Amino acid sequence: MIAELNIGAFLASFLFIVLALFSVGLFFAIGVIRRLRHERDELIHQKEVIFGFIHDVADVFAHTEEIDLGRMLDRVLFYATRTTRAGAGAVYLYDKNDEAFRARAVSGIFPPLQGQVEGTLSKAVSKSQAIEQLVRAQRIARGEGLIGETADFGNPILIEDAERDPRVPQYELDFLHIRSILLVPMRFLQKILGVVVVVNPVDAHPFSATDLSLLQALADQASISIHYAGLRDTINEKQRMDHDLTVARQIQTALLPRAIPRLPGIELAAYNHPAQEVGGDYYDFIMIDDDHLGIAIADVSGKGIVGAIMMSISRSVLRAQASNNLSPAAVLKGVNRIMFEDIAEDMFVSMLYMVLNIHTHELAVARAGHERPAWCQASEDTFTIIDSRGIALGIADKDAFESTLSETRVTLRPGDVVVAYTDGVTEAMNAEREEWGVERFLEAVHAAAPDGANAVLNSTQQRMMRFVGGTEQYDDMTLLALRILT
Amino acid sequence: MRECTIKREEREQMDIVRLDGALDSYSFPRLESVLTELRENQRHRVVLDCKGLDYISSAALGALIGFARRAREQQGDMKLVKLSPKIYNIVELLGFHKILEIHSSVDEAVARFEAG
Repeated sequence: MIAELNIGAFLASFLFIVLALFSVGLFFAIGVIRRLRHERDELIHQKEVIFGFIHDVADVFAHTEEIDLGRMLDRVLFYATRTTRAGAGAVYLYDKNDEAFRARAVSGIFPPLQGQVEGTLSKAVSKSQAIEQLVRAQRIARGEGLIGETADFGNPILIEDAERDPRVPQYELDFLHIRSILLVPMRFLQKILGVVVVVNPVDAHPFSATDLSLLQALADQASISIHYAGLRDTINEKQRMDHDLTVARQIQTALLPRAIPRLPGIELAAYNHPAQEVGGDYYDFIMIDDDHLGIAIADVSGKGIVGAIMMSISRSVLRAQASNNLSPAAVLKGVNRIMFEDIAEDMFVSMLYMVLNIHTHELAVARAGHERPAWCQASEDTFTIIDSRGIALGIADKDAFESTLSETRVTLRPGDVVVAYTDGVTEAMNAEREEWGVERFLEAVHAAAPDGANAVLNSTQQRMMRFVGGTEQYDDMTLLALRILT
Repeated sequence: MRECTIKREEREQMDIVRLDGALDSYSFPRLESVLTELRENQRHRVVLDCKGLDYISSAALGALIGFARRAREQQGDMKLVKLSPKIYNIVELLGFHKILEIHSSVDEAVARFEAG
């Protein structure tokens, strides 16, 4: 009986324990299943996000032919905010010329990361528009704030709880609160291109490490496209410039005298070497009357087509003024009066204009801001710089120009040589970026002067070429020389 | 030649722009964008500190002259300070010392602006 009871009690307790264990097991099993199910859902979600992301990336960069950088950046930002569930974002690009970052794409209400907004906003009709304008107008220097930090160190910054981080600006206005922020750099071959910023996930969770990885992957892809977009711009610009250059050269060639005048008792020589960029040099010989030769050399401040057109204007104006006027100063005054009214404020022409009496060999010289000519006298073993006062054409009004301009007259003797040049000659550079310089130039002129005008040109050219080696020159080089023979 | 850096310091009444390096056709667009920004922001009084300037192209000089001329129409000006002998020679050769005000120090140019 006792044994039966015991067995009964044992069975009861055994059953109880089995049931209890089963319940506990069931409880745990349900928990595990729930967790697994949750993890599975999470993984499916992440998979969806990642698949979505891969699709997005493919879509952003499918249009590799896209020329418009702005539209590409807008798309990058659209997918950046979608992937990270961000409420707002911006893409900042580095501007080499300005040495600063500027927002080139903005979406949502993106709070400015620098400075104050309250004052600006109170007057604004549309607050979101005013905020965007403010963000786009801000210039962010290297190393400045979170954007500067991300760019300088080249590392992403994830701030989950932005309200407690002193680096994040906090605004009183509710819609400008930054709760969570994520910044990733855009780089190409160690070169910083910009920064992608997203703020405030819409689901109220902070940004996660996964968001960071995805955003960085997107930014890396974007960097390649931005880099090539920049190259494409450079190539397009280069093609345009090459075309301009051809046109400019054609104009320049058409304007230079086809032949150098042959005059009894006078040797004349001229040389013009257009540089890579066509610098706007020109020279001219004008027979004013039977006794007088006008000699001009000029350097226009603009390059390319603009320079060539300026050159063409100067040449025509000078030719019109030079007829029947034997005073070079009076001629240059006339030229300036016309040019000052007509040409852009930031353009000018330096011009040396001389009038030579081909019988008496009196040379009248006036200089509108141009290099002073050198005069090698056969009777002396030295040279003189013919100086006169003057301002470049097109810059000074009538009063200032005419009160400054002076005229110098010298009488040349047989064997004397006068050399005029443009700064391209003396500023010619070698591979070490050293200038040939006025002194070396004058030395070359002096050494060759006894052998005549052509010898001076040949000798200076040769010496200069030896100095610069194969270095490509950026400015035109123009030289002209005259020698009195008898 | 050193690449040119252009630094802008905004003061209440004027801007000090400091040039360092060579202003050639490479760096010229950067100068142009700084000058355009000044003009657009109605900042017509500028002191140009040329202490670190090694070279200036004629196009860049043209841009400076152009800025000064437009600034004068708005009761402003651009004054050049601390020109090296080499840069002064270029300015003098072109006769621009007759058009642009040149001073030996930033303070001197600032004082000239303040004197009206």
